[in-house]
Amino acid sequence: MASVLLIEDDPLVRRGMELALGRHGHDVRSAATGETGLREFAASVPDLVVLDLMLPGVDGFEVCRRIRRTGDVPVIMLTARGDDWDVVEGLEAGADDYVIKPVQPTVLDARIRAVLRRITSGGDEVRTHGDLRIDTSALTVSRAGEPVSLTPTELRLLLTLSRAPGRVFSRTQLLEEVWEHDYLGDSRLVDNCVQRLRTKIEKTPADPVYVQTVRGFGYRFGPL
Amino acid sequence: MNRARSATVVAALLLGGCGVQPSGVTDAAEAPTGIAPGVTLYFLDQNGTLRPQQRRSGRLGTVAEAVTLLLYGPGQSGLRTGISPSESPRAEAVTTPGTIELRLPLAAGEVTPPGADQIVCTALATHIQSGGPARTTVRLIFTIPEPGSDTPRTCPLISPRAPGR
Amino acid sequence: MRWWPRGLRVRLLAACALVAFAAAGAAAWAGAESAGDALLASHGQQLTRTVTDQVGAVTPSLSYPPDQATLDRLRAAVGGDTLVTYRGLRSAAGTGPGLVTPELRDAVRDGNRLVTQRVVAGGTPWLLIGTPVVITAVDGTRRPSGIEVYTARDLTGVDGRIDDLTRSAIGAAALSLPLAALLALLAARSVLRPVRELRDTAGRLAAGDLGARTAPVGADELADLTVTINEMAGSVQASMAAMRRMQADARRFAADASHELRTPLSTLTAVMEVLADTADDMEPDARESARLAIAETRRLVRLAEDLMEVSRFDAGTAALRVEEIDLAVAVRESLRARGWLDRVEVEAPGPLPVRADRRRLDVVVANLAGNALRHGGPPVRVRLGATPGEVWAEVTDGGPGLAASALPHVFERFWKAGSSRTGPGNGLGLAIALENVRLHGGRLTAGNADGGGARFLLHLPRDAQETR
Repeated sequence: MASVLLIEDDPLVRRGMELALGRHGHDVRSAATGETGLREFAASVPDLVVLDLMLPGVDGFEVCRRIRRTGDVPVIMLTARGDDWDVVEGLEAGADDYVIKPVQPTVLDARIRAVLRRITSGGDEVRTHGDLRIDTSALTVSRAGEPVSLTPTELRLLLTLSRAPGRVFSRTQLLEEVWEHDYLGDSRLVDNCVQRLRTKIEKTPADPVYVQTVRGFGYRFGPL
Repeated sequence: MNRARSATVVAALLLGGCGVQPSGVTDAAEAPTGIAPGVTLYFLDQNGTLRPQQRRSGRLGTVAEAVTLLLYGPGQSGLRTGISPSESPRAEAVTTPGTIELRLPLAAGEVTPPGADQIVCTALATHIQSGGPARTTVRLIFTIPEPGSDTPRTCPLISPRAPGR
Repeated sequence: MRWWPRGLRVRLLAACALVAFAAAGAAAWAGAESAGDALLASHGQQLTRTVTDQVGAVTPSLSYPPDQATLDRLRAAVGGDTLVTYRGLRSAAGTGPGLVTPELRDAVRDGNRLVTQRVVAGGTPWLLIGTPVVITAVDGTRRPSGIEVYTARDLTGVDGRIDDLTRSAIGAAALSLPLAALLALLAARSVLRPVRELRDTAGRLAAGDLGARTAPVGADELADLTVTINEMAGSVQASMAAMRRMQADARRFAADASHELRTPLSTLTAVMEVLADTADDMEPDARESARLAIAETRRLVRLAEDLMEVSRFDAGTAALRVEEIDLAVAVRESLRARGWLDRVEVEAPGPLPVRADRRRLDVVVANLAGNALRHGGPPVRVRLGATPGEVWAEVTDGGPGLAASALPHVFERFWKAGSSRTGPGNGLGLAIALENVRLHGGRLTAGNADGGGARFLLHLPRDAQETR
């Protein structure tokens, strides 16, 4: 049971998704434009935002960027298949995941749950790597004593990678573990999330030390 | 292969055109003349009229020879002459185109006008017989000339438009 | 005709050079010929005049009728190679007498004139001169004397000079050959430049540059041709543009239509689950209706998606996102995602690394395998392999195979095996598969296996290039 803010301009689609997500047990509020969506968001911060990219007025990308600036509430984008620019731009705007319209409510529900999933199997240890301190029970991260604010997806990615420092994770592996996607998951989700994570935890994101790229294979944590 | 054939023709013409080719009989010029059984001299008959006389000398001879022969006189032919007789007469002739100049061993006074005609006609006759043109004048050069004695003369018996040249 | 050169330039050049050379040669030859004739004529005149003078100089002193001595004198005056006759008498010396021809003798006898004839004897050219000696009367009339003079004059000297003339004519013509070739080259250039420009334009037109034109120069046949070609190109360009516009309109319509379908389909998709969950509680008629609506909605969604995909290929906006993947893994994952792993046998020799678009390769595999499962019969088999530059996948089934008449059409849009249009597929699957393969730079062919079933063979290059 999560509180979901649905921002979708077409009234019938909006109503249909409200009905479907409601049946999956979510508490759905909805907005028809970017402006009203942002107002609703400010009025009461939801657990998650489902955001149509094609909105009149303030478009979906801008809405996503503003939500991302206020905090770590996850965003799932609604996009049309093959509108690749939408996907690329949406992920750069900070979306955690995307689904393609028309979307089956079951699929969307699974994505919502995956994005919101709490790490419970993290154990209760504190991993310290250089300046970076990861508390797996409190689920907090700090760098040089400063707390770092991460979205649930970013946190899951960091926990997954740092669980086995030096081990190489392929993009498909990360998609499965972090996003719960199947083989056809979009590897750009991983790349974008790594990018965002680096800007938050690395001293110089262009020359990362914690999350390193292994060309042709994927990513690994360290070695420091 | 028309092109090849015409090329061959051109080549044949080019190569065959060189050198002297045999020809047919071509008319080229007057036949030479000057042969005669004798010479023609002019004397005067009883009436003083100019008359030709054939001398069977066996050949034509030159103008000077003919005039010299004339100066010897008509002999026993019964004809007369208007030229005074002289010892071993000898005439000289210089022929230039259109004119025969005769140098006579006589004074102008020794020759009557018909006698001058005799000399002129004899010289012209020989000249024509040896192939010369009829339209030729004769100048007489005497040892002692008279006024007008060396003017160019023609023979009253020989027309300049006579057949021949 | 083989020996005649085929290239327009070479032909033009050869023809011009040949004509110029022939003209120069003919002119030189004609000049040499007339010069030779003039030379011969003047030489002949000179010889006859000399003979006439020689005869005329001696005749007055010759006795007539002549005796042998007279004839000998006359012959001596004329010189060597001479024959002099008078009735029965004759005086001869040298080669001349033997050369006298009957027709020359007749001409001398019949006319009172000096005549000549050129003969060649033993390789030596001779001028024969024959003349009667005539007797001229005081009044100018002429009659034959009966004396005839024949003499021969060697023309070797003249012959040599004529040969020299001819040789120099040939030399002049030969000298004109380089000049002729140069002129021909210039002429050929000026004629061929517009031809070459026209050829280049035609080549560009043929290569698809329909805007190619040549500016017509002058008012000759070539300019007419240029104008005609320009007009032709113009009308082709216009009709091509119209056709493209119509095609683009049709495609845009398809793209727009499928796009517009997405919004209502989104709503339908969202509420279908609600309907499905509650259908069990409905009356049988309503339950069946609900299930039909759900099934048809799914089909509609699939059709709209496929149409949009086709539109993207047509518009050229389909992008390739290549990653390093393993063909064997990709095939198995595709089959697993659709629950077909237990119905399709996969034979792979080991890892088959290839750079490809994961999602597009999945579409290809799903379409080929799905096609085999739907239209062919078991066993459906996927064999994988690799060559140095490519990886390949062969999909075969145990069905009746493809009819020969169907083979050219299997990749056409909305084409379905058999006359039935009610099968499960929408007829776009194989067309989309082919487009995806082409996007990778690969090949997809359809045929029949030795055992009789249908056989689709996919080849992908190992390193496809990313697009856009």
